[in-house]
Amino acid sequence: MKKKLLSAILCSAMIAGTLAGCGGSSDGGAAQAPAAEPATEGEAPADETAEAQEEAPAASADGEEVTLTVLAGQSTTDAGIEDMIDEALAAKYPNITLEWECTGWDGEFHPKMQQYMQSGLPDIIIGKAQDVNTYASQGLLGEIDATYLDRGLDAARENVTIDGKTYGLVYNALYQGVYYNKTMFAENGWSVPATQDELQAIIDDCKAKGITPFASHMVDTWSIGNVTMQFMMNDVFNNTPDWGDKFRAGEVTFADDKAAQTAYSYNKLIFDNTYPETFSTEQTDCDARMVLGEAAMKVSGSWSIQNFLDIDENFDFGIFPFPNQTGDSKLIFEPNIAIMTSAETEHQDAVNCVLDVLSGDKDLAVEILDFTKTASMLKDVVPTFTNPSQVDIDEYASKGMIVDVTLGNNQLVWGGFQEENASDIAAYLQGDISFEECLSASDARVGSSSAQ
Amino acid sequence: MKKRTMQDKMNRQYLLLILPGMAIFTVGVILPLLLAFRYSVTSWDGMSVEKQFVGISNYINLWKDANFRQAWWFTIKFTIANTIVQNVFALLFAVALDSGIKAQKVYRTILFIPCLVSAVIVGFVWLKLYSNVLPELNEIFGTNINFLLFGDGKTVLSGLVIANNWQWIGYWMLIYLAGLQSVPSDLYEAAKVDGANAVQRFFNVTIPMLAPAITICVVGITTGSLKVYDLLVSSTGGGPGRASTSVIQMIYATAISGRQYGYGSAMSVTLVFILLLVAMIQVKGLKSKEVQS
Repeated sequence: MKKKLLSAILCSAMIAGTLAGCGGSSDGGAAQAPAAEPATEGEAPADETAEAQEEAPAASADGEEVTLTVLAGQSTTDAGIEDMIDEALAAKYPNITLEWECTGWDGEFHPKMQQYMQSGLPDIIIGKAQDVNTYASQGLLGEIDATYLDRGLDAARENVTIDGKTYGLVYNALYQGVYYNKTMFAENGWSVPATQDELQAIIDDCKAKGITPFASHMVDTWSIGNVTMQFMMNDVFNNTPDWGDKFRAGEVTFADDKAAQTAYSYNKLIFDNTYPETFSTEQTDCDARMVLGEAAMKVSGSWSIQNFLDIDENFDFGIFPFPNQTGDSKLIFEPNIAIMTSAETEHQDAVNCVLDVLSGDKDLAVEILDFTKTASMLKDVVPTFTNPSQVDIDEYASKGMIVDVTLGNNQLVWGGFQEENASDIAAYLQGDISFEECLSASDARVGSSSAQ
Repeated sequence: MKKRTMQDKMNRQYLLLILPGMAIFTVGVILPLLLAFRYSVTSWDGMSVEKQFVGISNYINLWKDANFRQAWWFTIKFTIANTIVQNVFALLFAVALDSGIKAQKVYRTILFIPCLVSAVIVGFVWLKLYSNVLPELNEIFGTNINFLLFGDGKTVLSGLVIANNWQWIGYWMLIYLAGLQSVPSDLYEAAKVDGANAVQRFFNVTIPMLAPAITICVVGITTGSLKVYDLLVSSTGGGPGRASTSVIQMIYATAISGRQYGYGSAMSVTLVFILLLVAMIQVKGLKSKEVQS
């Protein structure tokens, strides 16, 4: 009897589940729309709505339900912006739904792209500016309409344009350099170093006072790769902008080029002046220790700001470029979120609606920039979060001392080259291989240095 | 004649029954394997349409690749350590639990729970343990034990073996436990009558009777360790440097991240070949030692 009862309950549950599933799929799209309507009414002022109607791409007019697929290769700071975009899109185009697939840019993004290259790309791809060079050259990306590009800064187009066609809408930017504890610098009478000698003086003083000069988290091999490119930008690419091309042409090598060797050797400088347990320290712990005053400086990027301010919203920090051999280092600028579209999307009008929201909704842009603690690449959009390092950024910008790292990243790609070199540098720091072996390994990898 | 027709019918029925499984196996395993071999003789980057034939040069380059050799060396050390430690401890725990101790089910559950957790999470948990939690013990007790096992190339293997064994010993223990519980008690009684002590009974009755379970465990642990990937991704990432990069990890990095699909395929073909070879040798060697009760 018990068995019969149990069987009856299980059968009922299965039938109910099946019916519920069918019901869900049939009106799932419709269920999205009503949720969006109040937001439209409540949030969009009349004049903005009118403006939006005027500029709205064709697809929004017929109200056809469209679901667009999105592959988002995100930086650590980006996770969560998809909800903001969904909300803004639902307010303006309730008939368009985004089906997100979010992955780490450094992890699954490129494998996913390769997978989709076999089966068809998602309608929208969100990656970094350097990805345009990789995938547009394969004929995979669609050209972005000037309507949306014109809403961005001119500088945003530079490294996402190939043969006069722009394949990426660059949304925000990161700055990279040496973050420093302003309070600690003031208390110890240190001024921002511009040369290696000045930096060494601060390191020596730190050590004399029992302060760890650099916070670092070398357990994350990507962080070694990142800082190495920062070093390469100021010691190599600043003097030889086409160094990567020359490398492939066999005109320069890591084993022979003193500047490249110097760039690599800065990793040893950091390693010798950081936590002894850097190969066991994760980014969050590292940033926390920096905020708590255990270290004076950290070679990093804007992604650290999110952690700094989460740990202590009053943490006072600045940024300066890591000094190079000639004392003319520039702050590193990196276009970050770049929105790309599939060349073969069947929903170009709907894709344009998404681009319209992303490039035209300033409230959304500010919300995203405040969340990611990054700088805007859209015209007339200024984030409202307090960034103590902004003063320094503005100063370097006014002096023209900012350089776009995409120059280096396009010539020496991350996946398969920078990433692998970083592992070799880590092996060298661990004493597993010699410096010469580390350089030779980079030279041997020349075939993987370009996406072309 | 009638008997033959019956046999034919039976054969047709067998064939019909294995067809679905065979079809899935062919599409899911055999075809990808053949494709991998095909790619391994090309210089395909995984993206372009062109797949240039390069003969066996990828296989020749494998021998010269120091990183590939290092990945194999790490994988072999990891496999040997796991196979020994996991089998020994799983068997010991199984014997202990089979000896009639109190709260046997509680111990069995505690030992088994870690294998229900994803290896990715296990890696992350042990990274935190080694980096944050255990060093705190030094602070509390005033000791100076090096818990930062993942942070040094010399200790990373030990750290990973501990994490991996923590996860899997309970699983293999259950297989040994099932084997122990199926050993007829008559054999122990007969051995006792013959004057065998506990140690002699263990080596002359228990171990021979457990031979099928030992075969399963040794082959399972060996092949599982040779394929280690997820634990490493979330704990060491293959580092520090390349100290804990496994073969699978290297294949992934080469073929997918490094866009050298052809070369990566050559690596994977080599791995499959070695996996098959190791499993065959182990099964053949261990099967010959098995006895039937």
